[in-house]
Amino acid sequence: MEILRAENLVKIYQDNGVPVHAVRGINLSIKKGDYIVIAGPSGSGKTTLLNLLGALDRPTNGKVYFQNEDITTKSKSELSKFRLNNLGFIFQAYNLIPVLTALENIEFSMMLKGIPEKEREEKALALMEELGIKELAHKRPNEMSGGQQQRVAVVRAIVNNPAIVLADEPTANLDSKTAQHLLELMQRMNKEKNITFVFSSHDKQVIEQAERLLILKDGMIVNEE
Amino acid sequence: MLFKLAWRNVWRNKRRSLIVIGSVIVGMIAVILSDGLSNGMLRQMLDNQISSNILHIQIHKKGFNDNKIIKNYIEDSDRVEAAVNNTRGIKAYTKRVITFGLLSSANSSAGVFIYGIQPETEKEVSVINSYIKEGNFLGTGKRDIAIGQKLAEKLDVGLGDKVVAMANTPSGSIGSDMFRVAGIFQTASSDYDKVIIYVPIETAQSMLELNDKSNEFAMMLNDYKNVASVKEELSAKLGSEYEVLSYQDLLPMLIFQMDLYRESMWILNLIIGLALIFGIINTMLMSVFERIQEIGVLMAAGMKSYQIYFMFIFEALIIGIIGTLLGIAAGLLVHLPLSFTGIDFSLFSEALESFGVGAVIYPVLSIENLISVLIIIPMIAVAGALYPAYKAVKLEPVYAINYV
Repeated sequence: MEILRAENLVKIYQDNGVPVHAVRGINLSIKKGDYIVIAGPSGSGKTTLLNLLGALDRPTNGKVYFQNEDITTKSKSELSKFRLNNLGFIFQAYNLIPVLTALENIEFSMMLKGIPEKEREEKALALMEELGIKELAHKRPNEMSGGQQQRVAVVRAIVNNPAIVLADEPTANLDSKTAQHLLELMQRMNKEKNITFVFSSHDKQVIEQAERLLILKDGMIVNEE
Repeated sequence: MLFKLAWRNVWRNKRRSLIVIGSVIVGMIAVILSDGLSNGMLRQMLDNQISSNILHIQIHKKGFNDNKIIKNYIEDSDRVEAAVNNTRGIKAYTKRVITFGLLSSANSSAGVFIYGIQPETEKEVSVINSYIKEGNFLGTGKRDIAIGQKLAEKLDVGLGDKVVAMANTPSGSIGSDMFRVAGIFQTASSDYDKVIIYVPIETAQSMLELNDKSNEFAMMLNDYKNVASVKEELSAKLGSEYEVLSYQDLLPMLIFQMDLYRESMWILNLIIGLALIFGIINTMLMSVFERIQEIGVLMAAGMKSYQIYFMFIFEALIIGIIGTLLGIAAGLLVHLPLSFTGIDFSLFSEALESFGVGAVIYPVLSIENLISVLIIIPMIAVAGALYPAYKAVKLEPVYAINYV
């Protein structure tokens, strides 16, 4: 079942008055349960594409449809709600909220959805236990390693049962062993919970595990495997 | 969670937050001290005037207050006395003869207000006898006179010296009498000490050919808060022939000053608040710029603009409330001992005495002012966060997340 579709997506930035064509007419369809890796060299437009798919940025041209609804015309407030209800994000630099504990970071999006405190704590702790990071619950980000932080970030991204998790270079700051563990975790979530993952990465480990690989070059998909 | 997030954000940069809170505390101490001093000064001016001379309520023949001539005496003293005796809430009263005259010594003379008083009842209503610096307040001697220190200096007289008082009688002739200085007083007001003299009421009545008549009934109430109701009752009983005046009627300028001060207190607090606002704006702006990437993550997580906005507002509010509460506590720590010991302004005592304040001012804190700072300062803190919070919500998520 298709959940996200990009049609003729174009993004042009202005860099000191010079137009930069980051994404040039991309068409893409993402189905429920996909495990997609968008790969390509630096500057190929991977992150820009991911930002457009995640409604963090607006295209210069083209449309993004989520379950056949155009999200490119939504207001800032509507997009916040859309991201809250449908998307999970994993960032290269983990980006946990530094003043919150791991548990609170995971609970955060549930809090935004208005889920009662007890329910969200139970859900967060259950998922943390399932993924083997329950002992990190009361630690703050500065008390955790990079790998631990990224695991917490993965739990944070999936705890709300999003339709899609968008992961931008999630292993870039991790050593290969930690990266492998993290990828296994996400693959497990994909298989067991049917969560859709879309990665942008040029990490070989990530690319090797892709079920569907899109190669980007100069803002265009040049190959799909 | 939003409040928890704001609370923790306040303390993520402790030093910076403490500096802002410190500036609020200093501002609060300044507000409390300046308010206490101003309030204390005005209160002392009022209290001194009431307790030494004005009292809570005065009754005269209509027109006497505007034209203090001896002709305006109370003709039916018994009726007034009966009305006073039959009115509840009056603690004590006294009768006075008051007129303008001349007091002369062998060396000099001065224009004075002659107060013919009943020494025993005067002591029950006023504290003038407590201001005696030399000698005694009026006793049993018919020719005793009590004068102020400044007047004694001007006339160059001391205890036991003779002085002659002269004043118009109701018939227009000049009445005069010789007195001996029995007491010299010094009140908080140098002006008062220059112009007021006290003599026994019987001697004054005799000198002024008043028989047993007087110009004034002055009284203290059990509770000054009942002034309006007692005044109304006496006015109703005495009718239009008499004027029943409260201390507010008798001291309009001072009451006006106190009212004006109460009104301007909000403006003063606002000015201090405005001085604080720039520190808060600066801190909150730094806080926003330091957390741009984090704001982006919050946006990506689905946090709405108004939630981000209120997170910053809460942070400022926390700083404002903590600063205000600690500031009030610190201000009270400074204020309370001073309210008992007073602050000695001997260096400026001449100026203060001319205002009827006294050299030592006892700060008095008004609850209204405490409430006003409790409201104004946190509001100012919130106002200081409006622009930084606006900057935060105007960020585009993609720009914020990738901000380095």
